[in-house]
Amino acid sequence: MKRILNAAIWLSMFALVFAASPLLAQKNKPTKMRAAALQVEMIQSSEIKLPAEFQVALYENLIRQLEKNGFSHVYRDGDHNAASVANLVVLHSTVRGFKAGSERARQVTTVSGATSIAVHCQFTSPDGTSLLEQDVNGKVRFFGGNLKATYDFAKKAAHVANENFSTAGHE
Amino acid sequence: MTSRSTMVLIGVASLFAGLVIPVANAQQASGPVKVVQLTGLVGVKDNAKGTLDVQNGQLHFVHGKASSDVSASSIQDVVTAADSQRAVGGMIGLMSMAAPYGGGRVLSLFRSKIDTLTLQYRDADGGLHGAIFTMPVGTADVIKKELVAQGAHTTAPGESTPAAAPSTSSNKEQKQ
Repeated sequence: MKRILNAAIWLSMFALVFAASPLLAQKNKPTKMRAAALQVEMIQSSEIKLPAEFQVALYENLIRQLEKNGFSHVYRDGDHNAASVANLVVLHSTVRGFKAGSERARQVTTVSGATSIAVHCQFTSPDGTSLLEQDVNGKVRFFGGNLKATYDFAKKAAHVANENFSTAGHE
Repeated sequence: MTSRSTMVLIGVASLFAGLVIPVANAQQASGPVKVVQLTGLVGVKDNAKGTLDVQNGQLHFVHGKASSDVSASSIQDVVTAADSQRAVGGMIGLMSMAAPYGGGRVLSLFRSKIDTLTLQYRDADGGLHGAIFTMPVGTADVIKKELVAQGAHTTAPGESTPAAAPSTSSNKEQKQ
């Protein structure tokens, strides 16, 4: 009888440890900043000469990925409706590096011809106060056209936004 | 003697015509141009094939039964570039990578030249949109000129330049 009681105590201790660890881990997570909406500014590339199609593809993919990641209100650069939104977060993106690569070289050699883009993302309040800054890269190494690097960047940037900002009904 | 010189003259004229006519044809984009809309038009899926033309101050893209219009006056920037894409693309191109003895790699050496047309335009709320089209060689500059003539703005007034990126694939992998 005593043995059964001991086993039950040990079992409950194990259960408590396993149940508590995820809860503790959640406590350690950084708290998300509140963002009622996001406004995406056009990608800037004053330092780097970036082809127009890459600039547009970065911008369009970024907006699409942010919407996919649960940001229900994503405003475009210059949208008048964003002016009246409280808790608006503005995303400024500046291209810091670009390697054009070659789809042909990728497919023929497999190891060379990668396309890569390095973008500095800055999340600010509408008055320009910086909330978060991070460098995000986009790459295409094997399959797909060069513009696929813009999709890779957009996915990563949307993930960064999702990790650090929460909208109403989206934690 | 006379017949020989006549033959030479005809030969030279034919050769000259053969060189000039394809260039002239490439530059003419009379009527709708077959294009692929890579991304950007509202309500149109990525990599949608359709036709593009400029009429009455509107850029008109027709895809199946659906169509999408962009006012030329709302276009802030229109840029053309020369590019290339795989001659054998899509699923067949992807499957060819598995061909034995590097057959797929040989296929990927064959590429066709294309033009790209990139637009930036504003919607009714002032929001900035971008759209990218690929089209046959020689047609992008014609569409750009028509757009500029009808009120579109451009930051690159010259003709198309080779893209910094030597390849832009319009294959389905870019779809999300």
